[in-house]
Amino acid sequence: MTNKKRSHQAEVLIEGMAEKLNRQIVGSLVACVHCGNCTRSCHYVLTNPDDPTFAPAYKADRIRKIFKRHFDWTGRVFPWWVGAKSIFTVEELEELKDIVFGKCTNCRRCSINCPMGVDYATFNRMMRGLLVSVGIMPEGVAVVSKDQWEIGNQMGVLPEDYIDTIEWMSEEMQSELDDPTAVIPIDKMDADIVYTINPREVKYDPRTISDAGKIFHLAGENWTMPSEGWDMTNFGLFSGDDALGGAVAGRVYEKAKELRAKKIVISECGHGYRSTRCEGPNWAGMDVEIPMESSVITMLRYVREGRIKVDKTRNTKSYTFHDSCNNARSCGLFEEPRELLNLVVTDFREMYPNRSENYCCTGGGGAMSMSEYTPLRLKSAKIKADQLRETGAEVVVTSCHNCVDGLTDLIKHYKLGMEVTQLVNMESEVNKGSGFNVSIPRRSIALSSNDFK
Amino acid sequence: MPDSVKINQSTIRLIKGDLTALDVEAFVFYARPDLALGSGFGNAISMRGGSTIKEELEKIGGIKSGEAVATAAGELKAGYIIHAAGPAFHEENIEGKLLITMENALKCAEEKGIKQLAFPPMGAGFFAVPLPVCAKVMIESIKRYLSGDTGIKEVIICAADNRDYKSFAVELAAID
Ligand code: SF4
Ligand code: SF4
Repeated sequence: MTNKKRSHQAEVLIEGMAEKLNRQIVGSLVACVHCGNCTRSCHYVLTNPDDPTFAPAYKADRIRKIFKRHFDWTGRVFPWWVGAKSIFTVEELEELKDIVFGKCTNCRRCSINCPMGVDYATFNRMMRGLLVSVGIMPEGVAVVSKDQWEIGNQMGVLPEDYIDTIEWMSEEMQSELDDPTAVIPIDKMDADIVYTINPREVKYDPRTISDAGKIFHLAGENWTMPSEGWDMTNFGLFSGDDALGGAVAGRVYEKAKELRAKKIVISECGHGYRSTRCEGPNWAGMDVEIPMESSVITMLRYVREGRIKVDKTRNTKSYTFHDSCNNARSCGLFEEPRELLNLVVTDFREMYPNRSENYCCTGGGGAMSMSEYTPLRLKSAKIKADQLRETGAEVVVTSCHNCVDGLTDLIKHYKLGMEVTQLVNMESEVNKGSGFNVSIPRRSIALSSNDFK
Repeated sequence: MPDSVKINQSTIRLIKGDLTALDVEAFVFYARPDLALGSGFGNAISMRGGSTIKEELEKIGGIKSGEAVATAAGELKAGYIIHAAGPAFHEENIEGKLLITMENALKCAEEKGIKQLAFPPMGAGFFAVPLPVCAKVMIESIKRYLSGDTGIKEVIICAADNRDYKSFAVELAAID
């Protein structure tokens, strides 16, 4: 028996663990047979082959030891026999922080390749949440979480700046389409679609808002954007804080309900899609009756139904597609973006492996906000860089804002010289010169082909 | 459910709104002992209020946990900000420490002659004070304070969303 005194934070963490242990997590904690399959799946291992501390099973064992010591009878009775070990000091908690935040992007590639069904990413997230609950987290996680809790979005965009940006994009749209009716409606009641976005679009990439607006307008959609509850991203997925997850998702659902919207459309964002559509109702403890879909599916439907017309011959570059882990692996959204992309480009080159086996952009799981791990992130990005290079494509398309940032960073680091874009930008570009909709006056979209890039 | 309750000559009022944009005499910012504004409401204070608030805080330097200090509110609509350093992240004796922080925030406002003061849900959210605990302690503390001899005429609780609002509405309705 050890005589080490346990810190208050460690006590709280162990108590919190008791509350988090559901069947899925316990199943994952007890099922590992140490076969090593997961090791071959993880981009951290593949780029650090000589360091066993990156292996998913090794990282998992650090959490498993605590579970065994406190919640598994074998570990309580024979701790030395089953490798059970408690946690005591703040230094040990800090060390655990560097594993669960710094050595894993929660990409779930190891999870889907485990023959025993061990979902390491899920209990890695659990441990993130437990550490956050006692205030032990990377600085960037704290900054972003506080913004999302208190301002309502994870980039601290103030309400007046959000409205200003939407109005600005609305004016841009009007002048670009030369159509006074081409506006972005805010808080319109009874719309068929309420369009929710990533705050990154407001802060760094407002063109994605007007691009989406053009598509909705040209498709003759009855749509709106909400004045609040507009951030469909959710840092709770990354930080493991289910309360934050529930509060953020709840704001989106409640605003859509207040507006009596018929559907929530989620702009291209992997973790936002997973959080809002899949995990949010559980976190928020709400029955969400309003249907939700990714804007990729919305855009694809418009093309299939002939509501927007596209001309793929206008896109002459070579393109590949990067699957966001949350879209593809966790939500099965991988055929629709390919179908859509193939409708707007002539030269599409698949990346291997792909779909649910694709490698993380290496900026997932909130990694882009944790600057202390940047050198390690970029080193582990080599696997992704090699994958991208082998396609020989000029442009990588993705359906995730986080992946745009992760890919842009690694493309710069590995000097790949590739462009990164999203489907919404592609769609909008193709529509500029070619599409028309019967409900839209022809002059409104008859732009010069010089506008097309 | 009532959105306001009278205690002697004063009122507790519950609203849903944007704390740092409120047109009130003063609002409370849930601070850290180092008085750094940081992100969240701190970011809104910096963006909307200008640099003088940070400069004033730097002169003060810091406070102890549980204490409160007032600064001017720069270009914000409010006249003052009460920076109160409450408990965080499941530290020991959350309820007791939150009660002390509330009392010190109210006293600090009183000393400045402030008659109207808005609070956020103190410590709930990022700082992980459980929302039901936060609502119970805050209402209890405000009720106790306003029952005594005070110049504060209105205490506003500013909920950020329906989730916050509902918890406080329940506690407000329970006031006899
Ligand atoms: S693949 Fe599954 S069973 Fe095998 S070592 Fe990894 S977690 Fe354990
Ligand atoms: S979830 Fe992804 S990053 Fe984390 S251990 Fe598994 S494969 Fe590696």
